[in-house]
Amino acid sequence: MNRSKWVPLSLTAALVTGSLLAGCSSGSGSTSGGDAAAKPGESASASPSAAPSAPVKIQMAMAASGLPSPENDDIKKTIDKKLNTDLQLTAIASGEDYKNQIRVRISGGNFPDLFSVELADVKEFSDKGLLLDLTPYIDKDLKTAKDFVLSEQKEIIKKATINNKLYAIPRIGDVPFSTMWIRQDWLDKLNLKMPTTLDEMMAVAKAFTEQDPDGNGKKDTYGLTGAKIGAFASVFGGFGAGGPGTFYEKDGKVMNGYYDPAMPDALKFIKSMIDAGVVDPEIMTNKANIEVQKAFQGKAGMIFRGWTDMAKDEFVAQYKAINPNANWVQISPPLKGPGGAYDGAYDYDRPSRYWVIPKALEKDKAKLQKVFDLINYVSSAEGNRLVMYGLEGKHYNLKDGKVIPTDLMAKEGNYFNLYQITGRPNKEYLEIKFPNQAAATDVAIKAPRIKAFDSSVLPPTGYNKADADRFAEEELIKFVTGKRPLSEYPDFLKTFETTFQYKTFVEAGEKQIRDQGFVK
Amino acid sequence: MVRKGEDRLFQTVTMLILALVGLVSVVPLLYVFSVSLTPFAEVLRHGGYVLIPKEITFHAYKKLFESSGIPRALGVTVYITVVGTMINLLLTTLVAYPLSRKKLPGRNIFLMMVVLTILFSGGIIPTYLIVKATGLIDSLWALILPGAVNSFNVLIIKSFFEQLPEELFESARIDGAREFRILFTLVIPLSVPAMITVGLFYAVGHWNSFFSAIMYMTDRSLYPLQVVVREILMLSQQQVENVEEQVPTVTMQMAAVIFASLPILVVYPFLQKHFTKGMLLGSIKG
Repeated sequence: MNRSKWVPLSLTAALVTGSLLAGCSSGSGSTSGGDAAAKPGESASASPSAAPSAPVKIQMAMAASGLPSPENDDIKKTIDKKLNTDLQLTAIASGEDYKNQIRVRISGGNFPDLFSVELADVKEFSDKGLLLDLTPYIDKDLKTAKDFVLSEQKEIIKKATINNKLYAIPRIGDVPFSTMWIRQDWLDKLNLKMPTTLDEMMAVAKAFTEQDPDGNGKKDTYGLTGAKIGAFASVFGGFGAGGPGTFYEKDGKVMNGYYDPAMPDALKFIKSMIDAGVVDPEIMTNKANIEVQKAFQGKAGMIFRGWTDMAKDEFVAQYKAINPNANWVQISPPLKGPGGAYDGAYDYDRPSRYWVIPKALEKDKAKLQKVFDLINYVSSAEGNRLVMYGLEGKHYNLKDGKVIPTDLMAKEGNYFNLYQITGRPNKEYLEIKFPNQAAATDVAIKAPRIKAFDSSVLPPTGYNKADADRFAEEELIKFVTGKRPLSEYPDFLKTFETTFQYKTFVEAGEKQIRDQGFVK
Repeated sequence: MVRKGEDRLFQTVTMLILALVGLVSVVPLLYVFSVSLTPFAEVLRHGGYVLIPKEITFHAYKKLFESSGIPRALGVTVYITVVGTMINLLLTTLVAYPLSRKKLPGRNIFLMMVVLTILFSGGIIPTYLIVKATGLIDSLWALILPGAVNSFNVLIIKSFFEQLPEELFESARIDGAREFRILFTLVIPLSVPAMITVGLFYAVGHWNSFFSAIMYMTDRSLYPLQVVVREILMLSQQQVENVEEQVPTVTMQMAAVIFASLPILVVYPFLQKHFTKGMLLGSIKG
């Protein structure tokens, strides 16, 4: 009697506990194919389905932010109309989260049709056979895109090539933004000249620290702020060194920053600055952009930073709000030292993104063609203008063939760059988008820098880059803060080579750079 | 008398310590709240730290609403919180009730199955495969269904059901009630504290839904609040990588934080009184 009553209930319990267990028993069986075409609950796209051929759905993914929702996305709508696609871009703000999503999606066989990954991942995924080899397509189906990226950077295709195969479409590299910045109003107040050499910079830093440049009667200012060793890029440059870990050419050979004979000298100079107390004492712990806030608040008079963090209108407004007299200017040309005058090292040929296409798409020729069409379109004159400046008449107007931005471009145009799959001609683009910053942009682009080749280097298997980098950074901090005498620098290198196998990394790097023909 | 003095001393010291602990927990919240209401220029002048705002402006909140996807994300979050919690409670009760009846055939086996999922979980990828195979990718149900029944909460509800007096069930049965009727008209009304506690667990989980959204959603318009808020916070903490990036001001960030946590903050005190009752697992309740 009682028993029969229980049957339905125990069944319910069984069903629900069953669904709990489903997480355990893994559902690998049903997902062999790679097509996620039939999906219920996808009624969101309310498009008139009466059109002769339905739009092809293309999924794109990248780590980025600022994308508006699809119905407010003029770029997406224009591309969709032009190419008869339904372009869906997934942009995730944090690089880590994005990596997780991509890896899970790949494991689940649910690839985006076009997505951006780091070079190391291009190698890993292509080694696993997950990526489409673009070598057969690049000269024919992707010719527009190829010509476009090559028109800006001659070496860029090489940079995306691994073992003589092209697995990624490179996006045109960025131009350098960083220089040393200094408070001109502090210089004026203390009757100091603009520093031109490292020694003069040291003297100015001392004055900034000791002579109360902000006139508040308190000794609460420093010469220089920044975050970690990178704050001293000008110092490394002045000594002719490319900075920790960077690969560059010196005397006709591939040089790694740690092995540069000038490295200990540069560290010695940095140590002398820290010893003199002219550097923000928190320089090694500053993070999350706090150093820029400190500079704006008048706690330091110099910082090595991009104009993108210092000169954009909103940032100028920020520091003027704190102190209307504040005036940050670039030190140009770079500070001279015994090894030259360089604003650090810069990897000019580094693609700013690597776009890959999954191997699975090979089977869906029509869709693959659409992906190629998309890449070519944003590389063509018409499409590139769209993804740079938006819609004519809305985001910009043409006057004598010149693009004149409207107010809406500043308001809405901040996400356009996500659709610049192959990039843009930087100089022209930046001048139009940031007319008020044109001078600063130009100074940063023209500043002499040591040419780095880091984007040619793939760490060899078994080399733990994260651990090695962390060790080296910690040791360098010890050297410059005096916790370890500089005479032990060779010992540091020895540990670095034995415990962390840095030598194998350097050798692999040298070989790759020579193979790509950057250094003979 | 001495005793009394000692007592008072003890009381005072305890009070002081507790007040200190309270202060330590309140000040960061107060800071976030104050900064979100202070004009940005004012915040900058004070080096980023404002505890009591001198001027108040809702500018940051206004901008937050205008520029980011916050209103839509709020809608998504409210939807998954309300619908999700209802589904959670319904299913959890439906599992817990039979398991709480000692006469259920195979009860121990079912219990084992439930407990097992607390000890072992499938991990991200198998779960993703299921979500994909069931066609839930890019559907809000992916944020609701995979975690619809939490085994731990099943056990809480189950043990609460178990301590209801057996006589109650017998009398109901004599009056002709069947199991569903007993569950819905007798057991559930008597278990309000447990329901509220577990419901709040679920609701907070849905409200904070982040990781599964990152995993399962490729369509931006389906992002819940926490994903959008994190995007706002992330942007300001890294060096500008894209020249075009607009870094939200610190006041906007704080406004976003307040916005994302306020609703839960408001609901908590009202439900708190049910907590201790609902939370006790198996022990004797007063």
